[in-house]
This record gives sequence, structure tokens and C-alpha cells, in this order.
Amino acid sequence: MQASHAVSVLLDDDLLAFNRAIGVVRRRNLPVQGITVGPSGQAGVLRLAFFMQADDANAMRLLRQLEKAHGVHSVTVTPVSSPSLTHPSEAVL
Amino acid sequence: MSEVLTGAQILCRELVAAGVDVIFGYPGGAIMPFYHALPEYPGLRHVLVRHEQAAAHAADGYARASGRVGVCVATSGPGATNLVTGLATAHMDSSPVLAITGQVGRPMIGRDAFQETDVIGLTLPITKYNHLVQDISELAAIVREAVAIARDGRPGPVLIDVPKDVQNQKAAYTPPEGKAAAPAPVPPLAQGVDEAARLIAEAERPLLMIGHGVILSGAYAEVRALAEKTGIPVITTLLGISAFPESHPLHLGMPGMHGEVHVNRAIQHADLIVGIGLRFDDRVTGNLAAFAPRAKIVHVELDRAEVGKNVPVAVGIVGDARQITQRLVEAVRPRTCEAWVAEIRGFVRPRAEAFSGDLSPEAILASIYEATGGSCTIVTDVGQHQMWVAKHYPYQRANTHITSGGLGTMGFAVPAAMGVHLARPGELVWAISGDGGFQMNMAEIATMVQEGLSVKMAIFNNGYLGMVRQWQQFFHEKRYSCTPIWSPDYVKLAEAYGIAGWRVENRGQLDDVVRRANATPGPALVEFVIAQEANVYPMIPPGGSLSEPIEAQPAATPAR
Repeated sequence: MQASHAVSVLLDDDLLAFNRAIGVVRRRNLPVQGITVGPSGQAGVLRLAFFMQADDANAMRLLRQLEKAHGVHSVTVTPVSSPSLTHPSEAVL
Repeated sequence: MSEVLTGAQILCRELVAAGVDVIFGYPGGAIMPFYHALPEYPGLRHVLVRHEQAAAHAADGYARASGRVGVCVATSGPGATNLVTGLATAHMDSSPVLAITGQVGRPMIGRDAFQETDVIGLTLPITKYNHLVQDISELAAIVREAVAIARDGRPGPVLIDVPKDVQNQKAAYTPPEGKAAAPAPVPPLAQGVDEAARLIAEAERPLLMIGHGVILSGAYAEVRALAEKTGIPVITTLLGISAFPESHPLHLGMPGMHGEVHVNRAIQHADLIVGIGLRFDDRVTGNLAAFAPRAKIVHVELDRAEVGKNVPVAVGIVGDARQITQRLVEAVRPRTCEAWVAEIRGFVRPRAEAFSGDLSPEAILASIYEATGGSCTIVTDVGQHQMWVAKHYPYQRANTHITSGGLGTMGFAVPAAMGVHLARPGELVWAISGDGGFQMNMAEIATMVQEGLSVKMAIFNNGYLGMVRQWQQFFHEKRYSCTPIWSPDYVKLAEAYGIAGWRVENRGQLDDVVRRANATPGPALVEFVIAQEANVYPMIPPGGSLSEPIEAQPAATPAR
């Protein structure tokens, strides 16, 4: 998969918020890879990050849908400019 | 001052505090503590449905008619899963529904206990919010949050799953102070209003296209003022029907798959479409690549994620339809669109429907309209009759057309009409179904009888799953696979339930029976026997452009 965008989602540190965010991504049926979940540095807030293959319009639609999910604090979608990126969070951190 | 209550009592207290007065539900093992507490709260009327799906649809109908949160209750496992279709329906049509489900006790969760289902997992994609209550200490706050989420912003369904042992837990409870919190303020608007006003001033062929958001925000007067100040013709989507009086000279009709030819041609010729409170779904646009090829689009929408989702917009304005439309009314200069309106008038074609016999859907709907003076609310199911109602019933009053739009849920009308009746007890409510959809939830007649719910039920009986049959006729070489559908004797069915019932087979019987049904106290049922192979015209083929309507029975084409 040739990733086009890196997505970073800050969300509540609980399974329901995580499940909602992942569900939004799954429902869009977009190819993703490199899914990682880890601490964000803020107490009670997780960072979910992944690479995605989508055109800019689809990437923007996903961003707007993720922003609506209860428990999601913020979403960043960044075009992948460097082919040497190995981790989605590198593109957004 | 706090007092010690069970979780079930706290649930009831919070519902009362949220202004809930009706609950649609069905008891069962895991929700029994709630039902044990319920009689202590006479302000919470419980309506015992015959299937939990009906509870969700009834809560949805109540919410749409009242503008308040509708509530449904079910037990764990099958009770909870039976709610799913109703919640998905409410989700697609932005209806504020609160579902409360019992769950097996916390020690049993995850052990495949009797009637255990992961209802949180099941409803994640079809609710705005859901939550498994972990402890009584969080229960009251969760109910308040859920009600607020259901109601605020773009409305939608929420679900609270309450383990049985949490319902039995006891804890100190402090009631909320004063009334429930007001909806969260809508973010400041305005960006784009001046640009939209400029586009309206420059356009030669502008259209207003209004949807459910106008009804949800109550923007009736504002939309009418905008149309009248600018002379722009108004198109109402399926869920926007009754947001604008159909007798108004600027009203054009419904767009899309079964929209009138002149409405769709107007869209294809327009140079500006101002869409308010709609999401430009595929049934409205047809082939997106060919939709409104000459038009710039101004999209006014509460949900930011909808702006630009389906159609590219020249101006997107995020906010409440009523507030933004009022701003638009103030920003636009008075103008007229006389030449454009005359051009659209030239697009009008005579309706192509041809019915054998004299009992046409149009005549039936005219009879209901005349007998009620247009004062009733019509709740429709899904299929051909739904389109006939949308096209022919001359709605004049705001929010008097209620239907399942986005999900297209057959079986919606009868239970949803029960909710509408309880929201508007002083008004006549007609539930109009086909013979297929009616049979999905006709067990709710028993609910109406037991609860004294005065719903008038109309069945358009053509002996087929008509819309599917129409597609088979048009696109599947007339192979009527599995669409002929047998019906019981509906008059005898009515008799069995102890309600009035009639069969109407010709025009001569029509007006008298409709009048008698209206005059009969309580529920009543009327079967209208219509032509078996009546079709809904025009029709845009699936995936087709709005410029390519089918206006008469086509030659058989290969299956698609």
C-alpha cells in the first residue's frame, strides 16, 4: 500500500472511544496500515495513529467523521511527503 | 438533599427530570428492577409494545412529532438486538431517541450468560453515544449526558446499557437542580453568509432545496421569508416535505429518484442551489457526476461533516438552519425570479401514473386530506405508497409528514404513528403502509387497543412488494421473484383485535369509509385495494442522472 496520508487522533483513554474511532475508519473502507495506539503525553488521552491511502477529499471526509465521534478530542490528517516515514506519528508529531 | 435509591429508581428519577413522560418498552429478565421501580413514577407512562423494534420506532415517531427525546426500553439479549433496526432508522434520520437496555449482572458479563449480548458493540455505529454503566455512582450523570447528546447539535439516538445488579445497587442520590440544562450553544455562524447573499443576487436560475434540518430547527418562517424575498423556487426533499406549504406558488416538489420531471430538470438547469438542512444523499442527487452540472452550491448544514461530503460546495455554512437562514434573509436584497419560474413551468409534464380501476392512490390521499381538512399527521412506511404520499399529499402544516427516509425501514409507519399520536394526542394520525410493510409490525394493533392509541391505519394493498416488483419490471426482465405477497383478511383481522375495519375496492366507497374511520374513536383500519401493477413515475434508474427519467413502462432491460 502506498500511503498518502498520516492520521493522528487524540481521544479519551477508554475502550469505547477507541472502538468508536476505529469503527469510523473501518466503515469508510479505506486501506490503512501501521495502526499504533499509545500515550499522548496528556493524562487520560490516547493517540491513535495510522497510515491511509486515500485522495484528499476522502481524507478530509474521514477527518470530519472522526471529529464527530464521541470521545475524540482532535484529528490531524497530514499528507505523507517523505517516503522514508516508517511510523504515522512521525508525520504529525 | 440526597436520599438513598436503587439504580432503577435513579433511572426513573432522571427520566422524570429530563421531562420524559412516555416510555415505549418491553420487560424481561435483565430490566426487571427498572420495571419494579416504574410504578412509583406515575409521570412516566409506559406503553407495552408487542416487539422491541416497535418500541424504538414509536420513540422515534414521538421524538419527530414532539421535538423532544423519545425513550424506549428493552431487556438484554434479544430485547436489545430487536431495538437495532429502530435505532439505525433514528440515526439515519437524525432523531433524538434514548434507548435503555438491561444487561446481565456485571459478574456475568463476558461469560456468555443467558440473554447476554454485546449491545454496546452492536450499536456503536448507529448511535451518537452509548455507554455500559459500570457502577451506580455514574448512572445519573450518564443519563444526563446521554439525553443532552441525543438532543443537542445534530440529534440522534443514544443507548445506555445498565447491568441488572447496577439497577439493584443502592446509593445516595441528589436530584439535578432546576430544569435540564439547555442545549449547548451553537457555534457562532456567519462565515459565508455574505458570499451566499452575493451568489443569490447574481444567480439567474437559483433554487432553494430544503431538508429535514429545516424541520429540526423549526426554520419554517425563515425559509418562507427567504423564498418570498428573493422569489427563489423551493424544492423539498423527502424528509423536508411539510417544511414549506405545498400550495405556495414557489413550491416545486420533491427531487431525486421519484421527483417530478420539472423539479429534476430545474436542478439540472439551475446555476445556484442553496441547500438548507439536507445532506444531498444519493436518492436526491442520482449520479453525482451529472448532478446539477451548471450550479454553484451553497450548503447550510449543522453537521460540519456533511458539508462537501457528497457534492462540492462553493460556500459551506455550518450552523443551525434557522439562525443562518434568518441571517440570509437579512443579507439578501429583494429580487424576483419570474423568468426562471416561468421556464420551470415549461418543464412540467402531465403525471404519467395510470391506474386500472378508479381507486388511485391520488384519490385515496385526496380523500384523507379533504376529510381531515389537512389537519392530520401522515406517517408513511417505505415503498411505492411512500412515494405516492410524498408526491400527492398536499401538505400545508409544518412537520406533518413523518417517514423513514435514510434507512428506508419497512414496518416503520404503524409503530411510529403510535409515538406521533402520544406526542399529538389532539390530532388525527394516519399510518399509511403497503401490504408488505404493514404485515411487518401489524401486531402493534394490540398495543393500540390495550393503550387506547387512536391511530388510523391505511393499507395500500396491491398484493405485491410493490417497489421491488417495479424494479423487477423495469430492470430484471419482469421476473417477479418472491414479490407477490399474500395478505390476511384485514377486515377480519381488525375484528379479531376488536377495532373497526373496512375494505375499499372502488371510488364510490372511498369518502364515506374515510369519514367513518376518522369519526371512530380509537384505532381503525382501512384496506385500499389498488391496482396490482401500478408504478411510481417518473423514476430515475439507480445510478442514473436526474436528466434521464423513466416516464412510462420501459421495454424489458437486462438485469443490473
